Amino acid sequence: MKNVRIYTLSTCPWCRKTKNFFTEHKIPFTFIDYDLADEATQNRISQEVDAAGATGFPFVRINDEVIIGYQPERYSKALGI
Amino acid sequence: MKQISMNVESRKKALRYFFGKVVDPLGFKFTPDEELMNFLLEQEVILEGKHGIPFCPCQPLRHDRSRDMQIVCPCIPFHRNHFDSIKRCWCGLFVHKDVLDPDKLPQLPPVEVSHE
Repeated sequence: MKNVRIYTLSTCPWCRKTKNFFTEHKIPFTFIDYDLADEATQNRISQEVDAAGATGFPFVRINDEVIIGYQPERYSKALGI
Repeated sequence: MKQISMNVESRKKALRYFFGKVVDPLGFKFTPDEELMNFLLEQEVILEGKHGIPFCPCQPLRHDRSRDMQIVCPCIPFHRNHFDSIKRCWCGLFVHKDVLDPDKLPQLPPVEVSHE
């Protein structure tokens, strides 16, 4: 089973769509709503998304593959479904 | 910071009027997806109440004023090449004027688009 980690914003509709995608496909995942996290966590996430060249959320990591933005076709491909 | 209480619907109307004037000369319009537009404007009013500024609901605040100013809606001028490449802004509130079906517009990050 692939390890799926997602960074999201509670105000972002695309982040909600992303969570729904993995829920509907019964893929377990963990997520952090960046805007609701403490500042230390926000700083850590900031560095990680900067390193990947991301400016916005959702930020999805499937094993070692990073997918920035709501891209369901790429989620399916990375998951092999 | 004192929580700013305001009528959400009237503030959404005001933002919609103001934003429309700003993005029109940039070649953008509000997304035809009314539900998405309403949701995003509502989130921006909430963010404005919390931070005093209608930040983009889909980009993170970095606690760095120079970076955070680049995600004040409408943030198109700060991301012009990127958003022209994907024919939408990141959160999808605005799309190019010729866009009829916004669902077909991929949400691609700068690193995945070519900037002619």
